[in-house]
Amino acid sequence: MHIRRSYKGCPVWIAAVALLSVFFAGIASAAPDARALLKESENRHRTRTQQYAGDLTVVNKDGKVRKKGWKSFREGYAGDAKNLIRFTDPPEVKGVGFLSISRPGLQNPDQWLYLPSMKRERRIAAQDRDASFVGTDFNYEDMEEFDHEKYKVALQGEQTVEGHPCHVITAIPLEKGGKSVYEKKILYLRKDIIYLLREDLYRKGEKEPGKRLVLSDLQNVDGHWVAKKWEMSDLKKGSKTTVLLKEIAFDRPQPGSRFTLQNLNREGGD
Amino acid sequence: MTRLPVRLIILFLLLPFPALAQGISGYAEEKGFVYGDRSNSRDPSAVGWGTLFTKWEEKAGEAQLTASVRAEWITSDEQGSLSFDPADRKIRRSPISVQDLWVRFPVSPSVDLQLGRFQLGWGKTDGYSPADAFLPRDLSDPFADEKIPLWAIRLSGQDGAIRYEAVGCPVTTPWRLPVLGTRNAPLSVEEVPAGTVFSEVDTAPPVIGFAALRVLATVNEWDLGAWGRVGVRPAPLLDFRFDQAVSTPAGLTIPVERRYAHEEGAGVELSRIIGSWIVRGEAAAFFSRDRDLGDAVIGALSAEKGFGDGTLLITLAGNAIDPPVDESLLFDRAILPAFIAAWNRTEEWGEWKMVWTTGLRHGDGLLKGEVGYNITDIWKITVGGELPYGYEKGPLGALHTAQRLHAALRLSW
Repeated sequence: MHIRRSYKGCPVWIAAVALLSVFFAGIASAAPDARALLKESENRHRTRTQQYAGDLTVVNKDGKVRKKGWKSFREGYAGDAKNLIRFTDPPEVKGVGFLSISRPGLQNPDQWLYLPSMKRERRIAAQDRDASFVGTDFNYEDMEEFDHEKYKVALQGEQTVEGHPCHVITAIPLEKGGKSVYEKKILYLRKDIIYLLREDLYRKGEKEPGKRLVLSDLQNVDGHWVAKKWEMSDLKKGSKTTVLLKEIAFDRPQPGSRFTLQNLNREGGD
Repeated sequence: MTRLPVRLIILFLLLPFPALAQGISGYAEEKGFVYGDRSNSRDPSAVGWGTLFTKWEEKAGEAQLTASVRAEWITSDEQGSLSFDPADRKIRRSPISVQDLWVRFPVSPSVDLQLGRFQLGWGKTDGYSPADAFLPRDLSDPFADEKIPLWAIRLSGQDGAIRYEAVGCPVTTPWRLPVLGTRNAPLSVEEVPAGTVFSEVDTAPPVIGFAALRVLATVNEWDLGAWGRVGVRPAPLLDFRFDQAVSTPAGLTIPVERRYAHEEGAGVELSRIIGSWIVRGEAAAFFSRDRDLGDAVIGALSAEKGFGDGTLLITLAGNAIDPPVDESLLFDRAILPAFIAAWNRTEEWGEWKMVWTTGLRHGDGLLKGEVGYNITDIWKITVGGELPYGYEKGPLGALHTAQRLHAALRLSW
C-alpha cells in the first residue's frame, strides 16, 4: 500500500525514469551473469589437451555430398589454445595442415595453412578468416574455440534446445578483441552442465543468423563432456557440414614440437 | 623380355591396392591439348598426356617413409624412351620415374633428418620467388610450372621462433627443357637461316649439386628469413656449336650443348600482415663467373588479399642487372621483369583461377584460365586454356604458336 501510494503522486517522467533504471539495472546485472556463466563453462570444460579424428560430410543445397576426414590436436583452451588439424581424406586435400596459435591478449591468433603441393606453409590473414575452411561450411574463425574475453556478453533469457533448457547469451565482438567475421553470436548454453549446444552466427549487416552451429550427441569421455556431432549450416547457401568425432581423448600429453611450423611442414606427419 | 611387357608389369605394380596398404594414394589422369596453330610433324595440333601416379606413405616408429612412382604416356616428342634415370638427368622424360623415395626421422624432438629423393619448396613470394626459382623445373609443358624432386639430405629444426634448414644435394638434377625448336621452345638465333634444325646434345650435367642453408624466424605478424646456397645452378646455359654445324640438303643442322654454371646466391625474405593484406618480399644476389650468366640482383614483392573464398595475388619481380645474354636463355630469369596477377576462387562445385603474367621489358604476356569441377570426391574434370601473346621475341610472346585449350579427367584414390 505504501509503495503504491508513493508512486501514485509521482509525475509520469519520474515513473518512467524509475522503470528505465530498473531495466538498465537488470541489464547491468545480467552482463556479469552471462560472463560468470561463460567462465563457469570454461572452467568446467577446460582440458589441457584434446585430440580426435573427424569425419566430415558436406551437403550442398542440391543434396550433393562430399566427405572429408581430419585429425585434430589441441593444447590449451580458448584464449591460450594451440590447434593443429591435418586432413586425411579425400586425396585432393590429404596432407593439408592448419596450425592456429593464440596470441597474448585479445589479438587474433596466428594461423597458417600447409599445402602439400607447395611444400611450404602460408600465413592466413585475419580477413581470410571468412574463407571456407577447405571446402566446408566452417570458416577459419569457426575453427577457433569461443573465447568469451573477446566479446561483450549479455544474458538474454532462457530457451529449450533439443529438449534441454538453455541460457541464451548474446556475444558481440569487442573491437580490441581482433577482427571478427561476425557482428553477433547468440549462444545457447545447456543449463545443467553449462555446455554449448548451439550458436547462431550473424555476419555484418545480417538481421537473421547466416550460419548456425548445432552440437549434439553429448558423451562423457575421460571425465569431460563432449559433443560428438557438430552441424554447421549455412542458412543462406542452404548447405550443411556435419562433423562426427571419434577417437576422442583428453589430457593426453602432446609432443612439445606438435604445435610448431616445423611440424606443420612435415610431409606425411601428424 | 620386350619393352611392352616390362611396361605392363610396371603399370601393374603402380596400381593401387588400398585393401592391402592404407598408406597408398595416387591418381590416374588423362589430359588432352588442342593447339590453335597449324599442325606439322614436330608440333601436332592435338596432344594426349596420360599419367598414373601412386604414392606409398608409412610410419615406422618415429620415421616417415614415402615412395612414389609416376608412369606417363605422352603422344608428343617430349617423352623419351624408357630408361633408368633416377635423378632426372636425361633431356627427355622417362615414361617411368621415381618422384619420392625418402625417409625422415627425428634426430631430436625438434630436429629432423630427411634423406632420399623429395621435393623442396622455398621462398615466400608466390608468383615469382628468387629463393625457389633455382630449384629444377620440368618445362616439357612450358605452362605447367612443374618442379622436379631432388636427391638430397636435409636437416631441419626449430628452436623457439627460429627455424633452420640445411640442404645438401649431392647429385645435380637439371632443368628439363622442351624439345628445342618446337612451339614449346622456339629458338630465334640471329643470322641463322629459317629451317635450321637444332640438334640437342644430351650433355651430362655435373655430378655434384649444391648446398644451401635457410634460417626463418616468426615474430608476431612478421615472418623473416635469410638463405644462402653455393654449387651448380641447375638451369642450363645453351652452347650453339656453330663450329660443328652440318649442311644437308634439308638445311643446316646445329648441335646445341648444355653447360651448367657454378653460382653463389644469398637472399632475404619477409612477410607481414598489413591490414587485410599479406605482403611478402624477397631480395637475392647471385654471383657467377660464367660469361653468359653473370651476376644478378633479383627482387620480388607480392601482395595477397582474401575476398571470401577468393584470393587475389599480385606480384612484381625484376632483375637489377641486365643479363649478358638474351634473358629467354636463362629460363628461371626469362620473364623478368614481370608483373603477375592471379585470382583463384573456391566454389561449392570446385574451383577456378585466372593468371595474367606480363613481361615488362617487351610487353608480351600470358593469360591462363582453368576451371576444376569435382564430379565426386574422387573424380574431377578440369578445362582451361593458355594464351601467350605479344612481342614474338619476348619470352612469353615467343610461345604464341603454343596457344591451346586443355581438358583433363582425373580419378584419385
